[in-house]
Amino acid sequence: MKKLLFLPVLLLLAGCNIRALHPASDTAATLTDLIYLSFGLMMLVFVVVMVLFIYYLRKFREKAYNVHHIPLDTRENKWFEITWTVLPIILLTILAVPTVQATYELTSSSAGNVDEAPQQAVEIQVTGKQFNWRFTYENGKQSMNELVLPVGQKASLRLQSEDVIHSFWVPRLAGKIDVFPGKVTRLSFVPNEKGTYQGKCAEFCGAEHTQMRFDTRVISEGEFQEWLKQE
Amino acid sequence: MKQVSEILYQDKKLGFFIYLIVEAVMFATLFATYIIFTPPSEGVQPDEVYELKTVILTSVFLLSSSGTLLVAESGLKHWNRMKIWLGLGLTLLLGSLFMGFEVHEFYKYASEGHTITVNNFLSSFYVLVGLHASHVAFGLAWMILLMLQFKQQKIPESLFIEKHKIFNYYWHFVDAIWVMIILIVYAPYLF
Amino acid sequence: MNIPFIGEVPSDIVVAWIISILLGGFLFSWVTKAGKWQVIMKYAQTTHHRKIGVMYLLLAVVFFIRGGIDALFIRTQLAVPENDFWVFQSQKYNEVFTTHGTIMIFFVAMPLLIGLMNVALPLQIGANDLAFPYLNAVSFWLFAAGGVIFNMAFFFNAAPNAGWTMYTPLATDTFTTEPNNNYYILGVQVSGLGTIFTAINMIVTIIRLRAPGMKLSRMPLFSWSALITSVLILVAFPVLTIALLLLMFDRLYGTNFFMGEVGDPVYWQHLFWIFGHPEVYIIVLPAFGIFSDIISNFSTKRVYGYTSMVAALALIGLLGFMVWAHHMFTVGLGSMANTFFAITTMLIAVPTGIKVFNWLFTMRKGIVKIRTPMLFALGFIPTFVIGGVTGVMLAVAAADYQYHDSYFVVAHFHYTIIGGTILGSFAGIYYWFPKMTGKMLNEKLGKWHFWLFLIGFHLTFMPQHFAGLNGMPRRVYTYMWEDHIFLLNFVSTIGAFLMGASMLFFIWNIYYTCRFTGGAAADPWNGRTLEWTVGSPAPEHPFEPMPRIDSLDAYWYAKINKKQLPEAEDVRPSPIAVETFQPVLLAGVIGIMSIGFIYGWLWMQIVGAGASLAFFVIRSLTDERKRVYEREEEL
Repeated sequence: MKKLLFLPVLLLLAGCNIRALHPASDTAATLTDLIYLSFGLMMLVFVVVMVLFIYYLRKFREKAYNVHHIPLDTRENKWFEITWTVLPIILLTILAVPTVQATYELTSSSAGNVDEAPQQAVEIQVTGKQFNWRFTYENGKQSMNELVLPVGQKASLRLQSEDVIHSFWVPRLAGKIDVFPGKVTRLSFVPNEKGTYQGKCAEFCGAEHTQMRFDTRVISEGEFQEWLKQE
Repeated sequence: MKQVSEILYQDKKLGFFIYLIVEAVMFATLFATYIIFTPPSEGVQPDEVYELKTVILTSVFLLSSSGTLLVAESGLKHWNRMKIWLGLGLTLLLGSLFMGFEVHEFYKYASEGHTITVNNFLSSFYVLVGLHASHVAFGLAWMILLMLQFKQQKIPESLFIEKHKIFNYYWHFVDAIWVMIILIVYAPYLF
Repeated sequence: MNIPFIGEVPSDIVVAWIISILLGGFLFSWVTKAGKWQVIMKYAQTTHHRKIGVMYLLLAVVFFIRGGIDALFIRTQLAVPENDFWVFQSQKYNEVFTTHGTIMIFFVAMPLLIGLMNVALPLQIGANDLAFPYLNAVSFWLFAAGGVIFNMAFFFNAAPNAGWTMYTPLATDTFTTEPNNNYYILGVQVSGLGTIFTAINMIVTIIRLRAPGMKLSRMPLFSWSALITSVLILVAFPVLTIALLLLMFDRLYGTNFFMGEVGDPVYWQHLFWIFGHPEVYIIVLPAFGIFSDIISNFSTKRVYGYTSMVAALALIGLLGFMVWAHHMFTVGLGSMANTFFAITTMLIAVPTGIKVFNWLFTMRKGIVKIRTPMLFALGFIPTFVIGGVTGVMLAVAAADYQYHDSYFVVAHFHYTIIGGTILGSFAGIYYWFPKMTGKMLNEKLGKWHFWLFLIGFHLTFMPQHFAGLNGMPRRVYTYMWEDHIFLLNFVSTIGAFLMGASMLFFIWNIYYTCRFTGGAAADPWNGRTLEWTVGSPAPEHPFEPMPRIDSLDAYWYAKINKKQLPEAEDVRPSPIAVETFQPVLLAGVIGIMSIGFIYGWLWMQIVGAGASLAFFVIRSLTDERKRVYEREEEL
């Protein structure tokens, strides 16, 4: 029964390109690797549980001959209990090491209130407001609901809100960072593929939260400079 | 075999102690709020608001009321009605004086323009100390009710003792919170 | 829709009015015709744990239907891209998901479990009632008042609309000016008080009212889970009480605790999740307890690893207080905090894993009898494991930057809450139904209910993982074709309607059983614990004479050794039951006071508060202990 349920899901999975699993920047690639790693480890756990579950269920299900039997109480086996305490700890340790690594790497550079601006980055001011995004570039150029970035160059965003909390999310380029009133957060990543990517507000922010979307256009350095000059 | 009243009292006592833990968590959250927002980044500062005299007066009255309540407690042990009257009466008096000065303090601050909306220091101050004051007010009403029941003598002695003891825990708890208020709310900005 | 004398009202509300009036009229005439007013009056005055438990469950099922209908509206609106279903777009949609979330957590999950605790806990430990029967009635009626206040909002076109998490500053009066969110604050506050009192009651009952010989180490696991859940409530709910109080000051009295510039919006998130994360353990631990008892019962075997089961419960409870900021990974708390909370969150997987393997090993070498309660327990294991492993995935702080606030999270918590709490509550209802009503729910309908529900559930929520990874944020009312999430959402909608259909079987089952079937035996499942020694339905003062307990599952071992449980001699006095309208009236005046606060009507606040305080006096003067103590003094 269970297997039947997974079938359509697998089909769907094969059928479309899941955005968070098709990274187009260094940051998003790190996240994708972590997602795959954790998914793999967890599938291992799931499979072990399911095998035991189905096996025990088939083997020890009530049969016509033993309806009135009373099974003996089994004593706890210390080694079993140690096994299923220690093995998960080992699995979690395997997962925890890259987690800590990535969290430190991404959080110190991409979020929080770190003030040192990295050299040679495109600095952009992001302002969230019910219900649109405003992007301000170094030369003062502003664009609404369209973020334009040069490929292969670090984009460094400083984000702030004018009203309630929003959250900046371009699944193919980076994870989310919340956007607060009265406090600046930062996010940086290097887009490494040209294209147009969906961006969304991920923190519920009021009536038209759904419509608070934007496009991120990653173009070549030359085109970007051209674009900056346009009024 | 212990008496029914004794066992049911123990149930009630345990339940009430657990309730006081709940109250303690609530006050702890408010203390945390106060600490986070004080001193405030803008607006009036705590040392401009607080007044040593009122704090000392309120503290003296409330803390000594815990002492006078002990008189009533010792009266309960030997069922000395005089002592119970004396203890409860003094506690009620001191508690009312505390309330009077507390209301006066709030009134004074407010009339100086330090109202609850001025900044988050004052907001958290009023919510925290106000909640404590409302506990004292509730305690005063409770005490009056207790004294009425004591006077009427319509309830059995064991029940009165039970009610009295539960009230004592409450009053001592409210006092303990006041000590915390002195230490956390007032002391850092008065001395 | 324009209604004369009232003005512009959305059409869904008008429909709800009409349906309520029709349904209300029908119910009224049915109750009158069937002569059931007396029964209702009896229940309104009761302090008996079983009756209160049944009322909790009934009201929870009513709210479940309300929350479920909300869910179906949500799924219909999201069935296809760029959809415009009825009125459910924009703010209207926001209201629907806010009420759905709040109702399901506070007015369904909590009362289902508290109701089952009320019914089964005293019977499991050999108590004749909860320690404070009167307080128990107060708890229930406060919960009912909270539920009514919250649900009323919709009928007055003022349903809360800032999400069940009420994130500030959106939830402050600057951005949501109408009284809508006041309903949330007061409704949750009032029912939360009831929950706190219940927790106190449960703890005292477990500590002081166990049968002679029933040491804590011989207590069934459901009772253990009730104890630990109650302790969690004690610490978590007061924080919510204060958080709501501060929010109320922000909304009603002009303070700025949580406003953007001067206050601290993140502080609200901290307070909310310091309550909120323990809350999810509060609603899942009792379900673990139910499953432990049921799996042991229907595997005809003692639960495997009793000691480690208890230790795991306690550990989960403890760790539950150290993980709240994993709801805030994207806030920018810094790498130190994110790492800490990532690790503590992962650690919770260890005790949870221990429990899963213990359940599996309880089945091992047993004889597994598949009845409806067991079916739900068996459905729970794989479902909850999926929810658990996605939980570990979410704990990976960096990866959570992708999952956070997306449909991946929505899928995850539905897997844990429905997979744990709701399946657990259904299992518990089927299991203990004889103790509540003296009747057995129909097995065949139960199986229909189970399979439809489980299949519908997986169809609904499995695709949502992928929708989330594909960039679908939560709390959006529509999406576009180019988002490539149409098929996932469409399957999800089909699943949701299957779940809805399964509930019809459940409700029909309850109606059918209550109407047409006869009395159940005291021990219909061949049970192991004390509740099966007393009659079905459980009588008042069930443990007279009081049994003496000498082991875990003492009743079971007495049965297979063909003996009776020995009688205890030194029995402590039972709590005193009363019949009184005070609790329901108290809840009524607190409700009036709450309305006063919601709409800022000072006179109503004063009247309500004064009347509420008067009840303390009335209570003190009519204390039921008086007559008992008097009798004692006469002796």
